[in-house]
Amino acid sequence: MNPAHSIEAERLSRRFGSFLAVDDVSFHVEKGEIFGYLGANGAGKSTTIRMLIGLLTPSSGRASVAGHDVASDPEGVKAAIGYMSQKFSLYLDLPVEENLRFFGGAYGLWGKDLQRRADEVLELTGLAEHRKAITGALPGGIRQRLALGSAVLHRPSIVFLDEPTAGVDPEARRSFWRLIRDLSRGGTTVFVTTHYLDEAEYCRRIGLMVDGRLVALDTPAELKRTWVPDRVLLVRGRNLTAGAAALRARPGVRAAEPFGAGLHLRVDPAAWDGAAVRTVLEASGGEGVSVEVAEPTLEDVFLAVVGRGAEAQAAQEVAP
Amino acid sequence: MTLAGSRAGRFLARVGAIAWKEILHIRRDPRTLLLALAMPVVMLLLFGYGVSFDVDRIRLAVSDQDRTEASRRLAQAFTENHEFDPVGGDDADDADTIFRRHRAQAILVIPRGYEKDLARGGPARAQLLLDAADAVTAGQVLNKADAIALSESRRMASAPGISAAPSLQVKVSSRYNPEARSAVFIVPGLAAYLMAISAVLLTALTVAGEWERGSMEQLFASPVSRLEIVLGKLFPYLVVGLIQLLLVLGVGTNVFDVPILGSPLLVILAGVLFLAGMLGQGLLISVLAKNQLVATQAGSLSSLLPSLLLSGMLVPIDNMPAVLRLISRIVPARYMVDALRQILLKGNGFAQVWPDLLAMLVFAVAIVALATARFKRRIA
Ligand SMILES: Nc1ncnc2c1ncn2[C@@H]1O[C@H](COP(=O)(O)OP(=O)(O)OP(=O)(O)O)[C@@H](O)[C@H]1O
Ligand SMILES: [Mg+2]
Repeated sequence: MNPAHSIEAERLSRRFGSFLAVDDVSFHVEKGEIFGYLGANGAGKSTTIRMLIGLLTPSSGRASVAGHDVASDPEGVKAAIGYMSQKFSLYLDLPVEENLRFFGGAYGLWGKDLQRRADEVLELTGLAEHRKAITGALPGGIRQRLALGSAVLHRPSIVFLDEPTAGVDPEARRSFWRLIRDLSRGGTTVFVTTHYLDEAEYCRRIGLMVDGRLVALDTPAELKRTWVPDRVLLVRGRNLTAGAAALRARPGVRAAEPFGAGLHLRVDPAAWDGAAVRTVLEASGGEGVSVEVAEPTLEDVFLAVVGRGAEAQAAQEVAP
Repeated sequence: MTLAGSRAGRFLARVGAIAWKEILHIRRDPRTLLLALAMPVVMLLLFGYGVSFDVDRIRLAVSDQDRTEASRRLAQAFTENHEFDPVGGDDADDADTIFRRHRAQAILVIPRGYEKDLARGGPARAQLLLDAADAVTAGQVLNKADAIALSESRRMASAPGISAAPSLQVKVSSRYNPEARSAVFIVPGLAAYLMAISAVLLTALTVAGEWERGSMEQLFASPVSRLEIVLGKLFPYLVVGLIQLLLVLGVGTNVFDVPILGSPLLVILAGVLFLAGMLGQGLLISVLAKNQLVATQAGSLSSLLPSLLLSGMLVPIDNMPAVLRLISRIVPARYMVDALRQILLKGNGFAQVWPDLLAMLVFAVAIVALATARFKRRIA
């Protein structure tokens, strides 16, 4: 195992009966990075995590986490990691503080050490004022912070967070992600799954899962460059019809459609920018032309990736 | 700190964390606790008034000191309708030994000179000694013995050459529970029954609850071992069970004058062994069931029925059909009921009670081991 890697997965697969939930997945996660794992419902995100933390045995392939092989040394893995499961698991009938103490105890902390860590974590997660509150009476966002706190009480070098912000309001999600970034700055490796593509922008690298396969893995910027090669330009102005026809005839312009009072262009960003488009339009009689460049989002990446996945699937099904 | 020291420390920290959390759950849910503690008292008051059940085939030892035709005829009168089953004859002096060893539930003593007294025109006396620790049986035996004695006197009165007066008196004397009161008899049974139900149900629910809540997955992702979970979960309920036992005994002694003739420590020991088995049974159910509804049903069926019907609490084991008698051998409540009756009512000590204790220990170890083995740490 490369010492700069926290997690290494090599051709990892898991089947349930005849159903292949995770299909030949390989990747590594570097120490201290925030690694996002994205995919639709049932894509195999939780199954991957469960294999990585020693809860599920891989059907084939191997993985090591914090230097421990997940199949042969799951106990070593468990002691080194923190885990926040998707279907959570705080004890709602207990006070905040007792939840922390319980999970600390479960990792073998006790006495003064436990008390000190619990206090630190209450401070870190901003829950000090709620320490005596019954967990079930707190809003979802606060509970998720507590769950994260419970998962890092024993100072694991890696935390696995399975959809930690599902069903939480945007403000609470932002404060949750501040916590995640604090952890990562402190040197903790974060492996996080999510449905929210805006959150994925916070990750250093992202893996995209479609139907059990890892179809893309890179930094957000690189993913956008490779998966959304076109740039979308929004044009406003008057007398644009002739100019649109002229643009369509030029190389590097993939589409130029009327859009409200203006135009919607898809172009090759290497050949075209806003100024070049305006020059062409004004030469064809356009007036008051303004061009706005729409940066691609991970949403666009995801749609492209899923589209590609569907095409590949269709091709496979047609092939003998 | 040494490695062993810190390892033991972490083990204790984990077991302690689980036990403490369980205690907090119990404290947060006072209704369940109240139910577990009030139920014994209510049940005891309800059952205290006793119910009567039909008894057949009472094992009868005959101590015939007369050894004449008349004495043999009397013994035969007791056994010919299969209400009493003869077992090997014994000495009356040895009655305590016979009862303690459960060789017979009643002893018919026919004194020397019985035939002569009859021939002289009576009154001829015989004595029936009863093991009345089992009050239901004792009451039945009493009635049956009366009926047999009466019909035997009538038969003799109508026989030629014997005077007309009813000439046979059977004096019945009960051992251990002189008034054959059913509260005294029911308390040990009830203690076992209540402990069985609440121990099985509480543990069955608590583990199934962790599965349902999703927290089991969280626990399995931590270094907590199966044994630590099992021990941490069992400990608080062991304490609840012992409190129940003390409550039942407290009400029994104060309200119904149940004696505690034997050692209270021995009672506690029996209680711990019995509870360990029942808690293990609950754990096994909840390991297999994984949801609270199934766990509740399986838990109540598997604890309530055997401890009510096969423990000897209501129906004496000797009166059961052979198949049920055989099944009752693997019902720990049977050993608990027997141990409690022996200790409380007869004042028996470890020397007599150890087979019961051993049986409960074997059951507890076997079922906790089975539950731990079936307790999969991996999901799916
Ligand atoms: N224990 C299991 N037995 C059978 N099938 C399973 C099991 N666990 C997961 N699956 C199936 O494997 C597939 C992947 O499940 P997984 O939970 O990994 O998806 P996910 O990406 O986490 O989805 P979600 O966003 O809904 O959490 C799903 O189709 C699921 O039904
Ligand atoms: Mg999932």
